[in-house]
Amino acid sequence: MLRFDSSGKPFIIIRDQDQKERLTGSEARKANILAAMTVANLMKTSIGPLGMDKILVDQDGEVTATNDGATILKNMQVENPIAKLLVELSQGQDDEIGDGTTSVVVLAGALLEESLSLLEKGIHPSKISEGYEKACDIAVKHLLKICDKIEFDKENCGSLVKAAKTSLGSKIVNQYTEKIAKISVEAVLAVADLERKDVRFDLIKLEGKTGGTLGDTELIDGIIIPKNFSHPQMPKQIKNAKIAILTCPFEPPKPKTGHKLDIDSVKKYKELLEIEQNYFKEMTDLVKKSGATLVLCQWGFDDEANHLLLQKKLPAVRWVSGTDIELIAIATGARIVPRFSELTEKKLGKAGMVIEKSIGTTDEKMIVIEKCSNTKTVTILVKGGNKMVVEEGKRSIHDALCVTRNLIKDNRIVYGGGAAEISCSVAVNKASKENTGVEQYSIRAFSQALLSVPIALASNSGLNSLEAVSEIQLKQMEKESSFLGIDCLSKGTNNMKEQYVFDTLRGKIQEFLLATQMAKMILKIDDIIRPTGQY
Amino acid sequence: MSHFTPTIVLLKEGTDSSQGKGHLLSNIDACVEIVNTLKTTLGPRGMDKLITNDRGKSTVTNDGATVMRLLDVVHPAVQTLVDIAMSQDSEVGDGTTSVVVFAGEILEQSRSFIKENVHPQTLIKAFRKACFKCRERIKEIAVKSNVEDEKQWNSMLKKCASTAMNSKLIAGHKDAFSDMVVQAVRSLDPEFPEVDLIGIKKVGGGAMEESFLVNGVAFKKTFSYAGFEQQPKKFTTPKIALLNIELELKNEKENAEIRIKDPKEYQKIVEAEWELIYEKLEKIVESGANIVLSRLPIGDLATQYFADRDIFCAGRVEESDMKRLSVITGKQIQSTTNGFTSEMVGECELMEEKQIGSERYNIFTGFEKQGSSTIILRGGAEQFLAESERSLHDAIMVVHRAMLNSNVVAGGGAIEMELSRYLHEYAKTIYGKEQMLISAFAKALEIIPRQISQNAGFDSVDIMNKLRKGHFEKPKENIWMGVDIENEGVCNTMKSFVWEPSLMKLNMISAATDAACLVLSVDETVKSPSLQDNNKISMEGRK
Repeated sequence: MLRFDSSGKPFIIIRDQDQKERLTGSEARKANILAAMTVANLMKTSIGPLGMDKILVDQDGEVTATNDGATILKNMQVENPIAKLLVELSQGQDDEIGDGTTSVVVLAGALLEESLSLLEKGIHPSKISEGYEKACDIAVKHLLKICDKIEFDKENCGSLVKAAKTSLGSKIVNQYTEKIAKISVEAVLAVADLERKDVRFDLIKLEGKTGGTLGDTELIDGIIIPKNFSHPQMPKQIKNAKIAILTCPFEPPKPKTGHKLDIDSVKKYKELLEIEQNYFKEMTDLVKKSGATLVLCQWGFDDEANHLLLQKKLPAVRWVSGTDIELIAIATGARIVPRFSELTEKKLGKAGMVIEKSIGTTDEKMIVIEKCSNTKTVTILVKGGNKMVVEEGKRSIHDALCVTRNLIKDNRIVYGGGAAEISCSVAVNKASKENTGVEQYSIRAFSQALLSVPIALASNSGLNSLEAVSEIQLKQMEKESSFLGIDCLSKGTNNMKEQYVFDTLRGKIQEFLLATQMAKMILKIDDIIRPTGQY
Repeated sequence: MSHFTPTIVLLKEGTDSSQGKGHLLSNIDACVEIVNTLKTTLGPRGMDKLITNDRGKSTVTNDGATVMRLLDVVHPAVQTLVDIAMSQDSEVGDGTTSVVVFAGEILEQSRSFIKENVHPQTLIKAFRKACFKCRERIKEIAVKSNVEDEKQWNSMLKKCASTAMNSKLIAGHKDAFSDMVVQAVRSLDPEFPEVDLIGIKKVGGGAMEESFLVNGVAFKKTFSYAGFEQQPKKFTTPKIALLNIELELKNEKENAEIRIKDPKEYQKIVEAEWELIYEKLEKIVESGANIVLSRLPIGDLATQYFADRDIFCAGRVEESDMKRLSVITGKQIQSTTNGFTSEMVGECELMEEKQIGSERYNIFTGFEKQGSSTIILRGGAEQFLAESERSLHDAIMVVHRAMLNSNVVAGGGAIEMELSRYLHEYAKTIYGKEQMLISAFAKALEIIPRQISQNAGFDSVDIMNKLRKGHFEKPKENIWMGVDIENEGVCNTMKSFVWEPSLMKLNMISAATDAACLVLSVDETVKSPSLQDNNKISMEGRK
């Protein structure tokens, strides 16, 4: 970026000017759009039930295999600022909705791709943005018109399971969708507050273990802690446990202030020893006195204490993590006790059953706390052949949990399989004709871009994509029904209502809004200043 | 050799010094260069810049001051332009691009005079006079709005806010946002409005439409220890204790060491430490507070202690949020629990923890008096949110200024055209060089409407001709004629509600004139070699 003044002398205006490059005007716009399109194209193949997975290897050689849009983008470690924007876009969708993370990126990419030809026609980018915004408005209104409601309650949750199944359809777990969908719905319903329409996700714990298949995944009405009892001779099973939760170690107390104890005689040494032993005795006595039958401790035990606990027949678990402690406290109604002297019976938690279980043939053990008195916490134990599968299984279940939660929050749905997009596309296209001027072009472009998701869906399913999409378009217009979509799994019907393929309305609206927002932002940039050579 | 002039080394080796007319022209070129970079962001159809720094952090922005800062300008003359952008930003908050573009245009206009050997001081004198005249004229024609009429006053503030947001990414939702901004600013204490008391919190995910205003204070859930989840998350009419105390079991003094002779003493020391913290906790509970907020960490012990007593606590609350709470509750932040009584505890109607996107927020609403509010911004990506925050900040500043000084002028280049007309007319009444120079200043003013229409992709020559004709033929009726962005033409921008506080224009014109005059008055730059270059030279010298 070397500049010269009128007399031909070079001057330096900005720091390290020679190491910076600058793109302006249409050149900048094209570079940005191309970057966005590259990312979108990369994601296209993982849309839909027959979408493919991607393997990502990070710097440490850690391998992730996934088909979750947000995870792929996050692990790709893109450097291009525009591509980064798309990563954040999908992250935003993930945070808010938890589903549709791939579609949102594909849609944003398609919007930009369409705008490329509009720019070549000489339409001002802000005009394109305005058109997109109008079109998005039309599409969202149309979604509200075509949406359907699904009914469910605590007992009758069949429709929720079906929705969860749609979300799991594209994932690695698809052999076991039925079971996993059921587990996810049960888990959400267990913690959901149907009146306030609120679901607190931190009450659902996802725990993974290698070994077995994904089909062995189970829902535990309680909490799993990946620990074992502190002494092998302690009982492995405790019925009607009264749990004391401690955040102080079974060790002699240490003042926080720096201190030094001078022992200069045998007598003093013996005294000290006695005091120490007294501490242990006192501690275990206090616990026993409170009536506890199980001790969970955030910190470690001294061997001495461990021995005493065994003698007193007090099973104990040490080094329980802070989050687990909190979950257990909530589930069992216990109070977390910071000092032995504060332990009373009232502060104990209650659980119907605590068992130490071992999994598979390995020596790995875990403690399961079931039938908690305040059972609002559940754990999903995900099993799978290897770590990669377990991790991907966890992510898929997370998506299914999100879908169920969203339905509890708002039970309106639109039909999947591209049905909603095609229907909106038709509506937007129709509306474009009511607009005069250049906006008509950009509104029409929006309607074209909406088709990108169904097209990708069809081509991933091995159909002749354009043919399939145009056929549905025609059928939708003829029958004026918005629930016809791509028959990805060749079930012989395009009726998504019958196939029970649907997405949440909230998720779809959010997807449209976020993609439009992103396209507008990228179109508005006409100047890029960046260090040379960095892309 | 008969004449031998010894070379006198006056300056350090490597010092760059240039002077004279050539130097002045070079400075002007440099300024114009940077203005060219910036000017495409002006106006409602202005574009954004994507700037990536050496560390790979990228920013998308349309805010003049932000662009100038991120460009990292080192050229000494151009630096003055950066400074005026900054000063406009801190003084008025909006119009940062206009001020730079205008200053650049003044320099551009003076270039031909410099080439023709007009003395820079003559130019400066004339420009100062023109500037003075402009300011007088603005004050004369600014429209005073009716402060008494609540409804009208509110709508005027909203118009100003939405004009400031016109060129930004959030322009599509400017109605909702201008409403929010006006409400937020009006929630401040009218006597000492402090813009810092309006919090803007960014939560990724969600659509712009989901942004909302909290009439009170909101902040993100802070880091918490085990036990936090057991605390109640919703209170009606809670009592809030604001503290600046570390509630943790810790050593009270650094470097202190206790020497214990007798093992029996040991227990006493332990007890003493526990007592210290328990005493603090008890005092807080005694005051009747249900919500304990502290600037400093609240440890696990205290968290569990509070959970046991159904009290909500949050440690490491940001200072700005604490300040807002302190102002709105009218209570001081306490640094000690000694003498902590129920009088030092604030109140509000409702405190609730809410899930916003993937974050959890603590929201306090329903305070007896006003004084603070928080805008929760939603949006897809981080850069998007960052840019929206800057835009909102601009709008808040504009409304804030407009409240202090309720005069407005019409934007869209209308006020600039009127000033230009006024100066042209004035120039005709004086003799001498100044006549031409003041006309040049008048011409420089036209850059604003011209650039606005150029950025919108209009035929700027055509529009400028229409504007000039309108203003010169019927100066009274067409006083507020400016660029019509919607219909590619001209219109009365006062009627189409493109309003700007007159203070902003006043500041813009004087700041730009000052900067231009400063650049013009420089005839020599002596630049010492930077330390790095110096090392290079000495290294080379040694070779």
